[in-house]
Amino acid sequence: MPTRPESQPVRKVVVVGGGTAGWITAGVLASRYPQRGEDGVEITLIESRQQPPIGVGEGTWPTIRSTLKQIGVSETDFLRECDASFKQGSQFLNWVDGSHADAYYHPFTLPVGYEERNLAPYWLEDPRDRSFAADMCFQAELCSKGLAPKQITTPEFAGLANYAYHLDAGKFGPFLRKHCIDKLGVNHVYDEIVRVQSDDAGDIAHLVTKSGDLLAADLFIDCSGFSSLLIGKHFGVPFLSKKDVLFIDKAWAVQIPYSTEDAAIASVTLSTAQASGWVWDIGLTTRRGVGYVFSSGYVSDDDALEELQSYLKMRGDPFRDLSFRKIDINSGYRQEFWTRNCVAVGLSAGFLEPLEASAIVMIELSAKSIANLLPSCRSGMRHAARLFNDTFRYYWERIIDFLKLHYALSRRTDSKFWIDNRCSESIPDSLRDGLDFWRYHSPWHEDLSHREEVFSAASYQYVLYGMGFRTEPARWLLNDRNRNLAREKMNESANYAKALSASLPGNRDLLTRIRRYGLQKI
Amino acid sequence: MVNRVVLDNRIHRDVRIAATRPTRENAEVNAMSVIPREFPRLLAHYPIFYTKNMETGRFEPSALLGFQPQENLFFVDGRWDAAYVPLQIQRQPFSLITRRAQDSEGKPPSLEVALDLSQTVQSQEGERIFLEDGQPTKFLQDITSMLSVLVAGAKETYAFTGRLAELSLIEPVQIDIEFVDGSETKLQGLYWIAAAALKALPAAQLAELRDREFLEWMYFQMASIAHVSGLVARKNRLLTGVTAPHRPEVHRADPA
Repeated sequence: MPTRPESQPVRKVVVVGGGTAGWITAGVLASRYPQRGEDGVEITLIESRQQPPIGVGEGTWPTIRSTLKQIGVSETDFLRECDASFKQGSQFLNWVDGSHADAYYHPFTLPVGYEERNLAPYWLEDPRDRSFAADMCFQAELCSKGLAPKQITTPEFAGLANYAYHLDAGKFGPFLRKHCIDKLGVNHVYDEIVRVQSDDAGDIAHLVTKSGDLLAADLFIDCSGFSSLLIGKHFGVPFLSKKDVLFIDKAWAVQIPYSTEDAAIASVTLSTAQASGWVWDIGLTTRRGVGYVFSSGYVSDDDALEELQSYLKMRGDPFRDLSFRKIDINSGYRQEFWTRNCVAVGLSAGFLEPLEASAIVMIELSAKSIANLLPSCRSGMRHAARLFNDTFRYYWERIIDFLKLHYALSRRTDSKFWIDNRCSESIPDSLRDGLDFWRYHSPWHEDLSHREEVFSAASYQYVLYGMGFRTEPARWLLNDRNRNLAREKMNESANYAKALSASLPGNRDLLTRIRRYGLQKI
Repeated sequence: MVNRVVLDNRIHRDVRIAATRPTRENAEVNAMSVIPREFPRLLAHYPIFYTKNMETGRFEPSALLGFQPQENLFFVDGRWDAAYVPLQIQRQPFSLITRRAQDSEGKPPSLEVALDLSQTVQSQEGERIFLEDGQPTKFLQDITSMLSVLVAGAKETYAFTGRLAELSLIEPVQIDIEFVDGSETKLQGLYWIAAAALKALPAAQLAELRDREFLEWMYFQMASIAHVSGLVARKNRLLTGVTAPHRPEVHRADPA
């Protein structure tokens, strides 16, 4: 195949794979470039009927609200059709030392004063014997009371507290598919790819499908999941394993029905540490999704299953007739995500344990970045690829640091899994340097080098101080004005928590009413 | 506490309802849910906006009665100071409740008239609700038909406001008012017709609104906004005892 000229316009995009990654990427691109036909961008998504989506990744970040809004779906439809519920953050249980009262929140709403200045040092100076999240963020109280982040009168995508969703990943893809095809003019093909045809320079020229069609495009987006058809199988871009940092490599997953129709729905992801990993517990409107992610180096599959079952027992869930599904987790990412005229998004680009629900937010960031960088002609591809690769390598590394942080700060000594996790060889240099720095400086924007971070300084504050990390306040850098401001803001926050507690409905109550009446757009 | 019981012509044979309705507990609200069928009569006195129902979030028309919670400027010295009283007030202390027959499962639930016994409504001289032979009086028959108008009105309301919301014809509005004594208030949580969206509405949709009577209702409601001035005048009279010129500032609210 002849090489395409440098001046060849980028007008045709083919997305390979119809899971969450494929449809979010198609939706973001199609809504950003709404013109089709001769004067527009043609977007085609090809998916196999044979390969069901993996269906993991039920947790999101608040970015999902602006992503869905941009794609143009209604929040009411999304909540109803994806059995979605409101998520206001995470609660980590037994992570610090495994003792009885060991629990802390990582809420989505920023700590008080965060928009203007860092007040964390003033909390450290006088922590009032309470938790960082409870003092510095009104949302902790809403989470502990199981309240919704909004009222029935709050418009779509708006909230009184910052929020994201828990969703049924098996329903999310089909929900977006319908919208992308009906409203955004995305072409859709059910077929399988049997061959990838390169041009002489090495770009992908077209894909050959099982039914004999040729799918030509200027840009190919690999959302083929673990099979990694283009970036892995075709281009052979190496996969960088991060198993030496994140030991988790397997999971047992199970779906649990609610005992009654009006059973409460937690508005946080519950993450409970176990001997060789941790258990996620996510409440949708129709069922809970629970799973134990563990390290096979420290526990056998059978023993892990038993641990999960004793978790369920402790929660009072019947587990006799449930089917437990085993999932492999291969932590790591590709050396490159964008190579020539192909870019990988989702599981084909990399995968990490779901501790901070980074999978879907990385898809959103990737889709947004591709839409921003989309070169107008072939000659722009190299530069776009370099920028994308630099940014996303940085993102993956920062997420790994942030996940490892949870293990590195634990003081659990009950198993080798936890002790080995603190072993200095397993801690990336960047995280070690950060931890040294934060001994004397409370995390703040300047500590992180990128304009847009996956996990902001606020997240670092919540986890560090939630886990009892101590930053020594440098008194000579503090002042009375901010000291008073911190006190004032913390009091305001406590009052606001009280006021909202009196007026917000329970998570389940609101979701039930939304199913019935819907939310208004304004 | 509300204490509603289904009317029974044996138990309530001798009940009389005081003629001096409405009572304080019903009247002391600053907005009252109304139905489109009332618009022509409401238009004589009240500013009507759309508000969100606190239970469902759906839009419903409401007559604005005051500027503070529980402030009803139409309720003066225990009497309603306007020729037309909204049906939601008139119907008190009666309501309709849904009753499901205990023995028949497939049967649709029936609506029955109930009386709120918690209200100070019974008196020696008031209106009887049942005749000696147990038949409803004319008074009760009027109440019953009023209640069924309200039930039908609720259905019409949600068809009406639901369609307006779908067509993006409703927008939030914030009203800043300065009273004669210099005090100020901001009215929030109110919505009205998005004039620009209405002007730009395609002919087919405009015709649909006309055919369903929605257009008529919209114009009644829009015209009623002029009564905000009258409401401010009532408040000013209350504050000072004198009437002063005033001009409330009405502007489109930021939807965010």
